Amino acid sequence: MKNNVLIIGGGPAGMEASAQLQRLGYNVILIERESTLGGHLNRWDRLFPEGVPASEPLEALMKNMNGVKCFTDTEIQSINRLDKSFNVILSNGITVLADAVLIACGFDLFDASRKEEYGYGIYDHVITNADLEAWFQSKSDDRIDNPKRVGFVHCVGSRDEKAGCRGCSKVCCVTAVKEACEIKEAFPDAQVYCFYMDLRMFGRHYEDLYLKAQKDYGVRFIRGRVSEVSENQDRSLLVKAEDTLSSKPVQITLDLLVLMAGMRHSEAGRRIADMLNLAPEDDGFFAVRNNLTANQQARMPGLFLAGAATGPKTLPESLADARSAAAAIDHYLTDIFPQTRKLKKLVKKNG
Amino acid sequence: MVDFGFSLSPSSRIDLDEFDRKTFDRLLALEPDAKKCMECGSCSAVCTASRYTETSVRRALHALRNGCGAQAVEELKGCQFCGKCTMVCPRGINTRHLILSILKIYGAL
Amino acid sequence: MTKLHVAVFLQTAGASEVIDRVPASFSPFVLPFVIGISFFLCWITVGLIRVLYAIPASDRRKLAISLVNPKIAWKNIRDLFCDCLFHVKIWQRKPLLGYMHSSIAFGWFMLIVLGHIEVALFVPWHLSFSKGSLYYPIFYRYFIWTDPAHVTLRGSFFFFLMDFFLLYVLTGIALAVFKRFRSIVLGMRHTTKPSLADRLALYSLWLIFPLRLLAESFTADLSGGSFLTVPVNHLWHLLFGEKLYFMPVWWAYSICLGVFFAAMPFSRYMHILTEVLWILFRNAGLQPSHPRKGVAEAEIYACSSCGLCLDACPMNVQKKNLKYSSVYFIRRLRRHNERKINLIADKCLMCDKCHVLCPVGVDAPALRRAQRKTVKNALTYDYSYLSALSAPGSSVSSAENAPETETSGRGCSVPSALGSSVSFAENAPETEIFGRGGAVSSDVPRVLYFAGCMTHLTPRILRSVEELFRKAGVDWQFMDREGGICCGRPLMLAGRTDAAAELVAANKRMIEASGCDTLVLSCPICYKIFKEDYALSGIRVLHHTQFIKELVDAGRLVLSKGTDSVVYHDPCELGRGCGVYAEPRAVLSQIADLKKPSQDGDESVCCGGSLGSLTLNANDREWITSGSVKILLKASDGSPLHPDALVTACPLCLKTFNEAAPVPVKDFAEIVLEHSA
Repeated sequence: MKNNVLIIGGGPAGMEASAQLQRLGYNVILIERESTLGGHLNRWDRLFPEGVPASEPLEALMKNMNGVKCFTDTEIQSINRLDKSFNVILSNGITVLADAVLIACGFDLFDASRKEEYGYGIYDHVITNADLEAWFQSKSDDRIDNPKRVGFVHCVGSRDEKAGCRGCSKVCCVTAVKEACEIKEAFPDAQVYCFYMDLRMFGRHYEDLYLKAQKDYGVRFIRGRVSEVSENQDRSLLVKAEDTLSSKPVQITLDLLVLMAGMRHSEAGRRIADMLNLAPEDDGFFAVRNNLTANQQARMPGLFLAGAATGPKTLPESLADARSAAAAIDHYLTDIFPQTRKLKKLVKKNG
Repeated sequence: MVDFGFSLSPSSRIDLDEFDRKTFDRLLALEPDAKKCMECGSCSAVCTASRYTETSVRRALHALRNGCGAQAVEELKGCQFCGKCTMVCPRGINTRHLILSILKIYGAL
Repeated sequence: MTKLHVAVFLQTAGASEVIDRVPASFSPFVLPFVIGISFFLCWITVGLIRVLYAIPASDRRKLAISLVNPKIAWKNIRDLFCDCLFHVKIWQRKPLLGYMHSSIAFGWFMLIVLGHIEVALFVPWHLSFSKGSLYYPIFYRYFIWTDPAHVTLRGSFFFFLMDFFLLYVLTGIALAVFKRFRSIVLGMRHTTKPSLADRLALYSLWLIFPLRLLAESFTADLSGGSFLTVPVNHLWHLLFGEKLYFMPVWWAYSICLGVFFAAMPFSRYMHILTEVLWILFRNAGLQPSHPRKGVAEAEIYACSSCGLCLDACPMNVQKKNLKYSSVYFIRRLRRHNERKINLIADKCLMCDKCHVLCPVGVDAPALRRAQRKTVKNALTYDYSYLSALSAPGSSVSSAENAPETETSGRGCSVPSALGSSVSFAENAPETEIFGRGGAVSSDVPRVLYFAGCMTHLTPRILRSVEELFRKAGVDWQFMDREGGICCGRPLMLAGRTDAAAELVAANKRMIEASGCDTLVLSCPICYKIFKEDYALSGIRVLHHTQFIKELVDAGRLVLSKGTDSVVYHDPCELGRGCGVYAEPRAVLSQIADLKKPSQDGDESVCCGGSLGSLTLNANDREWITSGSVKILLKASDGSPLHPDALVTACPLCLKTFNEAAPVPVKDFAEIVLEHSA
């Protein structure tokens, strides 16, 4: 008599939570929209701060997935809260009666073309962080043509009320520094500039990476937000910002401009929230029961949240969040279903 | 007073004691957005007038926060009021009204 | 009245159809009316003199000439009938509301005119002042006796007309009473809140005509009557018996009229007469130079407070903004409430929709600009750096001409960096104002393209226009590739007209020196001021929608029709501001399936990004934008349109909508480029 736990989203958080709950003895069903598990990790080349290939943590996560029922290319058709459980119909026709549901839908990358003035999709040499990661993996992109001057624009679609996102996306600063170093590795002759508003190097070893970028790669950090980009006749870019430290406007000609698109709430996640009549918080991400003490509980019994569904997170934060969610689900099921409690006691007694 | 043989020049240092809270509050009453600036410099970067002359809303506001009203007015005299700064401000500050309000309050001092 | 008295009158009057029933031709009940109307007439006479005195002499001359100019005189007559009496503009938008207004206005007008004609025909001696000309035609039915046996066809015809128009007015009054409680039925979501004087005048207006019916029907067996008054008279006899005490109702009728006329100058009903003056001013081409005096005074008293501007105002997606509507602005102007006037004047988006929809043509945005001017024109500015800019080819050197930044002596020195030159004007080699682009061929006009400040934030427009010019082989120059100077319209909208004039002069100097014959603009804000205030001699000023249409018509751009459907949004400054509605539509219908949204053309709603408003904050603007997007994405019957793209022709609209709309937002030039061969 095992409880069914449904996990929505097969990114790192969903995978980690599945593995944990599987070990705790629950019947875990994981569904993923795309055809492979891993979420955004699949599209990232290397990870900050040490530059570990994204495939490494992905493989580690995969290894623990034994026994988890995974449905890829599958979405939620409908979800209803019943008395004690959820009735979920999947797009592949299967109906799941889940005693607990974990939403690990992750985030969407901000659509950089919404920031009209940066000319993404219009100018030849404007790309996003995701495009650059794809290039690191494939080394093929017409827009990246042996650039001599490369600029990174921090906070594209983050800390920007005009773009509908007041919050900080947390990971872009350090990602930009990481990518700046990688660009220098790929094009040693290039001069790299980072245009930032505030450099938020909050995590362990992040400051080391920042130091490395300055010391080993000579990346120039300019405190000022880029707010106008135009294209020269030769397709190079004329970028305007203010060097706020010297209180003067600066302009610079660049061969490549990388926009650090931030994290937005997942649209697919929003659809599920709408089905359950759950109002998101102001930032668009899922609302939790308590931001300090009940971070993994949604405002509905039996519904749990993990990873970037509740706001921007780094990979280790997402994984830790997933483990917390697994523990919270275990507590919940033990409290609600007496037979689970009995089963647990039985297991304990028999050693 | 001991004569050390030299005098300290106060002018090279920003003196926050000079900050006129009352006047700044009058500005805030007219345009509450003045509190919201995080000094990213977007406004100065796009400024139409800054191509030709010293003009910047960010610098003007910064000067005000440091108690230099006259400098703020000077910063905004060349403003052409085109509204580009309002369009790019990530905090959604109504910079045009801020400029009018600064000119109105500090320009009259 | 006894039968005996009547017989005496009959004998004295001889064969006459209508007889003076009251020999003194006076009764005390007329006093309330006489006092009210006398006060009113004095008030408007003084007011008229004051207004005429306040307007500049040149405007007075203009007005006098317009009155004898047959073309304008004809327009005056037409407007007086269409606007004041028939309310044609309201009819066109909201037929039921139009009926309400025109029935009261035209019906009452006819009652007054016919009343005087009756007096002139039947008792002409009463047209002299000493014989009660002031009140006699109004209370005609009280003062006369008609022999039912001797009523001529002419007499009964007038009786019929009077009863007919009374009924006509009464139906209008009934609708008005109904509207007070259920305005949505007449097509109005919001209706104005009346002031005290408004209420006084309103309730007395409501009562005037029912009381008139009552009074005339009470005396109908003496004075005569027609299909309305006579049956009602029979009804009274049925209810109250043979003897009817009619004096109380005539008193009540007179009191109501008196109260109405006494309250009128302080109420919105002043518009009934002021409108006439305003139409004469408007048609003479007079513009208000002050927000309250002269022309403006006529304008603000011409406002009928009908409240059509409430539903028109894009700010009113939020109910808290209702108080900023033009109708309340004008009410504040009347009351001289300076603080509130400034607050409302600064809030407005200047989208001009209230002006276009106003049945009286009150240009409230112009009044707001005049108000802003009184406050903001005094603000300091220094554009001495502009004198360094000159004709194409010469480079800009701002460093030498930048005004030295003053050092503040309050213990805070200006950082040395501020005193030195602007870095990028110095370093950049591309500081020439003009950059040459495109092929040079001799048979095409030399075109100067001015993108404008905002267009530099929407590279899509720049790119598309450049590409289209290249495809069409236009010989053109890019005036502000590296950024120019502002057109001056934003300053103008803020009421800083003196400062604006300097920018206008600087731009004008450069454009005229370029030798171009066509100036093309992408920003409707620029377009409006270049077209209206620059007076560029020999240079055609076109918005890019117009220029691209010319290129298409001339066959220089070949377009292909796609399967996508689009909705076109009229930017305020391009549509209502400059009347450019047809050109973009003509081209768009050639390349896509053009769908009509619930509000477009002159009813188009501001995107929320307008430069017109000085004080509206980002949050309130978001409300307007999302409201506007909703309006654009549905048809007039409310069904969703599901267009493939939202097309507009203004960089501000494009940027504003692009941040909020659920469908792709494109500029006109962009979608034309997509469909060009």
